[in-house]
Amino acid sequence: MAQADIVREFEEVLERLRGAHVAAFEGAKSEHELREQNARFVGPAGELTLLMKRMREVPGDKKRELGQRTNAVKSEIELRFTERLAALARALREAELSGPRLDPTLPGRAVRLGRLHPITQVTHQLLDVFASLGFDVADGPEVDLHEHNFDMLGFPPDHPATDMQDSFYISRDGAIDQRSLLRTHTSTIQVREMLKRKPPLAVVAPGAVYRRDDDATHSPMFFQIEGFVVDEGVTFAHLKGVLTRFLQALFGSDVAVRFRPSYFPFVEPGGEIDIHRNGRWMEVLGCGMIHPVVFENVGYDPERVSGFAFGMGVDRMAMLLYGIDNIKQLYENDVRLLTQF
Amino acid sequence: MRASYKWLKELCLFEATPEQVAERLTSAGLEVEGQKRYGDLPGVVVAEVRAKRPHPSRDKLNLVTVFDGERESEVVCGAPNVPAAGKRVLFARSGARLPNGMVIGERNLGGVVSNGMICSEIELDTGAEADGIVVLADELSALPGTPVASALGLEDTVFEIGLTPNRPDCLGHLGLARELSAILSVPLRLPTATVPRALRPAKSSASPARPVVLFAAQASVGGEPLANAELEVRDGERCPRYATAVVEGVTVATSPFWLRYRLHVLGLRAINCVVDITNLVLLEYGYPTHAFDLQRVRGERIVVRTAREAESIETLDGLVRTLASDDLLICDAERPLAVAGVMGGLESGVHAETKRVLVECAYFDPRAVRRTSRRLGLHTDASHRFERGVDPRAVPGVLARVVSLICELAGGATAVHGFEIYPEAIKPREIRLRVERIERLLGASPPEGRAREILAALGCEVEGSGTATLLVRAPTWRPDLTREEDLIEEVARIWGYGEIPTDVPRVRASLHGAEPHTRFVRRLKERAAAVGLTEAVNLAFVSPRQLDQARAPQPAVRVANPLSEERSVLRTSLLPGLAANVLRAQRHQVSHVSVFELARVFRPTNELLPEERHKFALVLAGERASFLGDGALYDFYDAKGLLEAICTPLARRPLETFIDEQLAEQQPSLHPRRSARIRVGERVVGMLGELHPDVAEALELTGPVIYAELDVAELLAAGSAELAPQLRPVPRFPSSRRDLAVAVDEASEAGAVGAALREAGGALVEAVELFDLYRGGQLPSGKKSLAFRITYRDPEATLTDQRVDEAHGRVVKAAERLFSAALRA
Repeated sequence: MAQADIVREFEEVLERLRGAHVAAFEGAKSEHELREQNARFVGPAGELTLLMKRMREVPGDKKRELGQRTNAVKSEIELRFTERLAALARALREAELSGPRLDPTLPGRAVRLGRLHPITQVTHQLLDVFASLGFDVADGPEVDLHEHNFDMLGFPPDHPATDMQDSFYISRDGAIDQRSLLRTHTSTIQVREMLKRKPPLAVVAPGAVYRRDDDATHSPMFFQIEGFVVDEGVTFAHLKGVLTRFLQALFGSDVAVRFRPSYFPFVEPGGEIDIHRNGRWMEVLGCGMIHPVVFENVGYDPERVSGFAFGMGVDRMAMLLYGIDNIKQLYENDVRLLTQF
Repeated sequence: MRASYKWLKELCLFEATPEQVAERLTSAGLEVEGQKRYGDLPGVVVAEVRAKRPHPSRDKLNLVTVFDGERESEVVCGAPNVPAAGKRVLFARSGARLPNGMVIGERNLGGVVSNGMICSEIELDTGAEADGIVVLADELSALPGTPVASALGLEDTVFEIGLTPNRPDCLGHLGLARELSAILSVPLRLPTATVPRALRPAKSSASPARPVVLFAAQASVGGEPLANAELEVRDGERCPRYATAVVEGVTVATSPFWLRYRLHVLGLRAINCVVDITNLVLLEYGYPTHAFDLQRVRGERIVVRTAREAESIETLDGLVRTLASDDLLICDAERPLAVAGVMGGLESGVHAETKRVLVECAYFDPRAVRRTSRRLGLHTDASHRFERGVDPRAVPGVLARVVSLICELAGGATAVHGFEIYPEAIKPREIRLRVERIERLLGASPPEGRAREILAALGCEVEGSGTATLLVRAPTWRPDLTREEDLIEEVARIWGYGEIPTDVPRVRASLHGAEPHTRFVRRLKERAAAVGLTEAVNLAFVSPRQLDQARAPQPAVRVANPLSEERSVLRTSLLPGLAANVLRAQRHQVSHVSVFELARVFRPTNELLPEERHKFALVLAGERASFLGDGALYDFYDAKGLLEAICTPLARRPLETFIDEQLAEQQPSLHPRRSARIRVGERVVGMLGELHPDVAEALELTGPVIYAELDVAELLAAGSAELAPQLRPVPRFPSSRRDLAVAVDEASEAGAVGAALREAGGALVEAVELFDLYRGGQLPSGKKSLAFRITYRDPEATLTDQRVDEAHGRVVKAAERLFSAALRA
């Protein structure tokens, strides 16, 4: 081919492409179309690409000039392509942003929530307060020896005080065996811990206890927390201090607390604590200085150590805190009720 | 114990109002649980009967004209005992409101308009008599128009006191008055007993101890100076002190109004004056006494002995009681008259014709009375007090008080004799009180001298002075005072617990710390709630039937004295309780249940105590959480996922479920093909599965119910022994993933396939995850397709494609060889 022909062809193509790509790019309605059009010019088989491959056929004196003009067209195409690409992306984004709304009133995808039983929640709350005061947590069996439940706590055999604790005994070979029973209070753990350890002791013990009562305010199984401190120089004033602080942590720092004397065989002096709520005094726990007989029974010297003990019904606390009026509701495990707490 | 404010005020000279008394008693440990006002009767006045005539049309009614101090009115009265003109009655004017809520207004009775009402005792709450109107005795009559409350002295407040069993002394007004005297620092005024003083020797007796004369009559009846009542106590242990007095020439009548009213407000029914007196003294001294008709005491002889085999007595309540040889009886020469300390016999009691009364006042062993009372199922005012311990030293005073009142009120009494058998004097207990111990125990002490004052006011004799040691003789009416600490409690109690300061002890650190078990139980519960399970707390009692239905392990620990058969054994599994919870939810149309429980189960052992193990169980039933109806029912894998989420972070070891051919036999509660054992680390910690359809049906549950039960101790032991998870470096080099789907027999376990692939891949395999399970389509039946994603990584270098291809090639080959698996693209 003549050199003049090739120069003419170059000039023709460059001239055509300078205008053609603008229309082609404008006509592209999607990124895909745009890229197709782009490939028509600068793709591996594009017109411009093919043209550039023929540069070596161009005579030497024209090479420089045609080279520059070809590159200028290529840059122009690239620039237009980029601009158009951005414009298309923007248009797409605009369309998405003005598209249909989601329905925010559809329900959330459910994550099921679990709940701890109110008794457990209160137990944890109570234990946390005592833990912050330096108490250990202890545990013991629910079926225990008569000895641990009564005798070592100073209940004399046949004493009318056992009227207060009508107990479930365990059957052995079809007969009643008075040596073991379902513990009637968590004070068994007091005895067990004292037999196992030496003072100083500061222990709380939660757990299920059992008494032969069944009405709106009594369940045959219920929960107690027992606590006790034994050391040299422990006094009734300490008992008052610890339990006042405890009740404030639970019921608020302005709760009115009343200590009044009461009787439990294993404490002396013994007492009960009322708090003032909803316009009246409500009993929340029993307490007292550990009876020297108990110390003697576990091998402590009552002349040297003293201590206080207290016990409270967790059910009662839960009922007070959550406004539950029938204790049975705590043990029915109605899921509609349990999921409220 | 009911107590009358008015009576207390007679015994103790205080000014405090009923509210103040209640508050002070409560803060001294005698909890006033309730108060009721009596005599609040505005509009009810004394009226004089002026005339009466029959009702014109009604047979049983009268028209009575009464004068109420202001005007005469004619009212209709249906009572059978309308008195003659001149007598006085109690008249409720129109507008008066009676204690039973009735408001008096104009009424038309058989064509006669009646305005006002003549009242009976029961209408005014002054007594229990409902059959007739109150006709005032002449000596009580106040002027017409006098308000009834002041005319009869009705105003009173009755306290309901919740007494602790250690305070028998407060089962009488005197004891309560003594408390008030100590609390309020005011004097006590003891009741009087005027008894003739002349003494005569007693007749001989067969008792080992001879009776001594307490007091005897100054006069005699019919020349016989002493009643012939001989006394014999054959069981000095059960009866350490026994005294009687004989009163001759008694007229048994209705008691005077004040006595009847007093008994009424305190909850006792008036019977006749002699019985009423013994009841009054019961409420006054807290001391039960008994009155016999001496005419019916055969041989005029009293024998205190234990019952003979199959001996029986008809007690006052009309029941025939068969006695045991441990029961103490009061007998005459031939047969039992009373069950000692519990209840008198029907036959020997005082009645309207009684002329000669034998009064008994004794001290019985509290434990003996308690045993008898329990055995007979007979709890009486008397047994209640004897069981708790009356004051043995009060016997002569109480007897004298009864006798004195009989002389005063049962008109015509002419002769009194008293004897007793009391071989061994019961002495007050001596207790040393180191004054410094008060402060050591309480953390503070009352002002100097106050402790001594308190003890004295409570009836203690206090010797010694100064501040070192006091010798205290505790009164015998306070059996609860036995040691130094008891006295310190008395001081604290009367001084007031409110007076003791508050202080916080320094709790000394202990090496012991919380037990890992209790911490673990708490974390387990908290995690279970965190993954969406709700906690149940069920009673430990179940019925044998429930255990059978749930196919729970047997035998179970039996309660010897259950409240009912429904609650007669201790659970051996948490399934019965949780199943009941699901049933309850299903009955209330709750769409899903996901509940857990952590509690003990009990199994009998050969030891005294059963085996107790903490179990963690969960139950799932109904729809799994879904979005807009894409939900399905809970299945095995929901429970497995929850257990993994709960246990893995605690144990820091993976949880696996595996088939155990023995499971179906050992845990028949689960579906034999849809259940598995659970293993964590090396330990089998529990089981998981769908309930056996027969079990679900027996438990009345609908739909598949998924149940898992884990042993808490095993789970705790199965956990990683490392104190804390040890850091593994984050990979520095990239991984490469390849997917592989294999079609295997339905019976193949995905776990086994995955493990084999992993092994075949060698050291470069970091993870093999099952990501798809497919059945049907182009797969032949009996086959399933498992798709695994295998992650390859070299921790030390970037993997080349060639190394991954080699490893993956081995995996593919192994799959073909081991499972005859057809590879799927």
